[in-house]
Amino acid sequence: MHNHHRRRLIGFAIVGILLFLLSNRVGVLRLYQGSTVSMYVIAIGSIVLLTGFSGQISLGNGAFMALGAYIAVLLQTYLSLPLVLTFFVAVLGAAFFGLILGVAAARLSGPYLAGTTLALAVALPSLVNQFPVLGGEQGLMFNAGSAPEWLGEVSRFKWLFWISTLAAIIACIGIQNILKSRYGRTWKAVRSNSTAAELSGISSARSKVLAFVISAGIAGLAGVVLALTAGTVAPGAFPLSLSFAIITGAVIAGISSLLPGSVVGAVVLVGMSQLVGTFTSRFQMGDILAENLKELIVSALLILAVVFTPNGPGEKIRAMREHRKHHSHGGVR
Amino acid sequence: MNQFISSILIGFSQGSIYALMALALVLVFRSTRVVNFAQAGQAMVSTYIGWEVINRTGSYWLAIPIAALGGAILAVIVQNFLMRPLSKRTSEGAIAPVANIIVTLGLLGVLHSGAAIIWGSEEKLLTSPVSTNGFKIGENVYPFSATDVLIIITSVIVMLIFAFIFKKTNLGLALRAAAFQPEISRLAGIRVDRVQTIGWAFSGAAGAVAGVLIAPGSYLNPYSLDILLVFGFVAAVIGGLDSLVGAAVGGIVLGLTLSFTSQYVGTALTFVVPFVVLLVVLLLRPNGLLGGRSSRNA
Repeated sequence: MHNHHRRRLIGFAIVGILLFLLSNRVGVLRLYQGSTVSMYVIAIGSIVLLTGFSGQISLGNGAFMALGAYIAVLLQTYLSLPLVLTFFVAVLGAAFFGLILGVAAARLSGPYLAGTTLALAVALPSLVNQFPVLGGEQGLMFNAGSAPEWLGEVSRFKWLFWISTLAAIIACIGIQNILKSRYGRTWKAVRSNSTAAELSGISSARSKVLAFVISAGIAGLAGVVLALTAGTVAPGAFPLSLSFAIITGAVIAGISSLLPGSVVGAVVLVGMSQLVGTFTSRFQMGDILAENLKELIVSALLILAVVFTPNGPGEKIRAMREHRKHHSHGGVR
Repeated sequence: MNQFISSILIGFSQGSIYALMALALVLVFRSTRVVNFAQAGQAMVSTYIGWEVINRTGSYWLAIPIAALGGAILAVIVQNFLMRPLSKRTSEGAIAPVANIIVTLGLLGVLHSGAAIIWGSEEKLLTSPVSTNGFKIGENVYPFSATDVLIIITSVIVMLIFAFIFKKTNLGLALRAAAFQPEISRLAGIRVDRVQTIGWAFSGAAGAVAGVLIAPGSYLNPYSLDILLVFGFVAAVIGGLDSLVGAAVGGIVLGLTLSFTSQYVGTALTFVVPFVVLLVVLLLRPNGLLGGRSSRNA
């Protein structure tokens, strides 16, 4: 058990070092895309935990991202808190709002929860314009600071890449540990058969609330990373399509696969955006068309993924193999 | 007193649009146990169809039935080619409980961006065939206009048609039976698949009418009906999500709540009120104000 744990940590450390070495060799665009991948990995992780394990769905994780981002930027703008602290408070703050909604969520399921979180996602950005302190449509500047001197000369994009990648790695370690712990097993038990889980002494309501709170906190973290890479926090950065994109990313590689699922999903989202960008500029289409084409492809991908590989390609391959075995052995397993 | 009467009248006119949208959601939920989040997108596309009709013929009156027909056809396509195959493919694994929701969301995204590519994302204006200026009685001008009267009358007509179909025709009986007990209905010789498709078609038509009615008051762009989806969903939940009468009542209740808060508290709360109403209803009366038979964990 301990061995497993240590091996996982070493794996993460190796990935971290590789990414660090890589960051010195690639251009500004790749660094920016890398930061965006990290942001998506965290955001997708929040959905994997909530939907893939606890069986709940939230269309409002984009709203929790917005919450995290606004908490962080407010702390920096008005209290000049250091960056690390804004991260912590933003995660806690988003988790707290998750608790409020989670208590209601635990009593709901499926469509009710989806609708409630959708209402949140629609309501929240419009609220921003009501409070001048939040900076309106323009938003507020969010300063990522610069690397400490002893690291030498570090460009802004490299610094952003380091921060967001570190955040993603820490988030992945944390989520994976939770999913492998008794909480992860509890969520799975409640998801697959809540009556049986209750009979073995699990409080299904409490387990659902916990999943919701943790997921909201993780989404808050993703929001701060998004705000960092964008340099500002504005309501336009958290449209409904952001929540859709995250869900697409989570579904592509299997909704209950954190690793490599969330990384695959994030890379597909960012890669898709690059591909569409190249395509549209090649044929000299306008920016608006490019943006819409991207959303069209992401949404179509979401539908296709659910229809053709409902539980991810891994599951599909396993099922096909089993099917073949079943046939060749004449029904004997 | 003036303000009070205005709030009630506006509440009824806006509320009847929410009621239509709620009706659309409930019709689908009753027949196939799916909350169709793409309803906003389908209604939006139908409204663009209505806009095209107005552009070409100049007639708003023609736009309503054609948009409704377009909405119905679109809904049938969605149900036949997307939702029905889907339910056969996603019966197990972690995706099973959320597959419907995720796919309707994806469809909403496709419709959003598709409409933006076809019609552009700038706002279009649907001109109301009647005056949008408030009625004047003596010295007082009420914010209630001829357009509001049109909205209420059209909604009531649509609801009466539905009420007639559901209560007085064999089709209505089949629709109710198939929603209540699909297995037994099948044994009784009802072609449940076909009846479900008809439920979707009705729903598409209702959503389309809601879109065409709300558009003259606000502008039309690919995203402008999303908020109507939220209002419709809240109204449907107030009514218990599987009751047609409940949907109508829920729409009016929400319309009145919104118009009173914007009259007496301020328009800033427009987007927060439905969210609060939704949470309160779900926590206190989880089966809706009128009470349904199934629980929220269906």
